[in-house]
Amino acid sequence: MPNNRHLEQGKVLTYASVLLDSALEAGGQDAVLEVRDQFETIVKIVRSNMDLAGALSDNSADPAQRASIARGTFAMCNLALCEVLAVMAERGDMSLMNRIYASFVEQLERKLNVAIVDVTTVVALDDHLREVITNKVEADLGTKVVLRERIDKSLLGGILLTVGGKRIDASVASRLDAARTALKETSDGGEC
Amino acid sequence: MLTVLGLSSALVCALPSFAFAAEGGIEKILPDMNEFVPMLVAFILILIVLAKFGWPMFEGIMVRREAAIKESLEKSEAARIESEKLLEEYKKQLAEAKAQAAQIVADAKKTGESVKADIESKAQVEAANMIEKAKAAIEAEKKQAVSDLQGSVADLTVSVTARIVGEDLSDDEHRAIIERYINEAGSFNA
Repeated sequence: MPNNRHLEQGKVLTYASVLLDSALEAGGQDAVLEVRDQFETIVKIVRSNMDLAGALSDNSADPAQRASIARGTFAMCNLALCEVLAVMAERGDMSLMNRIYASFVEQLERKLNVAIVDVTTVVALDDHLREVITNKVEADLGTKVVLRERIDKSLLGGILLTVGGKRIDASVASRLDAARTALKETSDGGEC
Repeated sequence: MLTVLGLSSALVCALPSFAFAAEGGIEKILPDMNEFVPMLVAFILILIVLAKFGWPMFEGIMVRREAAIKESLEKSEAARIESEKLLEEYKKQLAEAKAQAAQIVADAKKTGESVKADIESKAQVEAANMIEKAKAAIEAEKKQAVSDLQGSVADLTVSVTARIVGEDLSDDEHRAIIERYINEAGSFNA
């Protein structure tokens, strides 16, 4: 007899596979990658916004009302993602969102046979850099990769690569942080 | 004895009067024998009565008085001796008390000196500890100040460097850095 944990895991897998299939059917790999990026952003927003998380998980509200809130909030997102989120809110499963996202990415990579690499830089990549990065990561992982590019000026320079929970931080900001730490830890025993 | 003396003196006093009266003119001043004899007899009788009854009574009173005085004197002497004894005893007690007081003062002085020495010793130890703690605190403060200064210098250095890197590098220079860093970066398999 399945216990509660198994039931939840089943729900997570179902939501993730439905979202993946819907996105694939609607727009192929590009749509799936778009859904992934949007889903990641939504996970961060809901995690940091307690009011929104509370409204989407409010058990005292009507399920249809929760679904309506979700549809209204995520209307600008991919339709498949918006509908799945609405169903999650309606059924009171918003607490599973992080696990559903992780499962979605896992199924996505398995189904498309690719590794999605988040590449964060200060300036936009050119084709040469994309090739260099792709070659390096494919050599490391032994699989085809898809680059998801982001611009983040706080890196100051360099590059931040993230894939499957692993990351390579080759940014100027992290190197400066390391230099700052080294400078602070360097001591001659307190004698001036 | 007193009776004999009284009679003798009466006769001696009477004889010159008889001699002077026999000579003549003095008769006028001589007592009349008719009066003198009864008076003499009366005197002798009174003398006898007094010697017989008054003198013993008087003597008894005197004896009792003498005994009383003697007893008083003896009592006084005994009281004086007792007083002297008490005085001696008091003097002795006073001397002992003085000795005890001196001993107490000496003990107190000794105890006071011991306590003073103890307090001084403790104060010295406490002062030494305080100095030691103060030195340690100063040293810690000094190290903290140096550390803070190092941190400030590091923050300032990094901040200036970050501003220089962020503002002064062109896109192509950034891309060159990215490529170099990719080549230098470790592997995902590491």
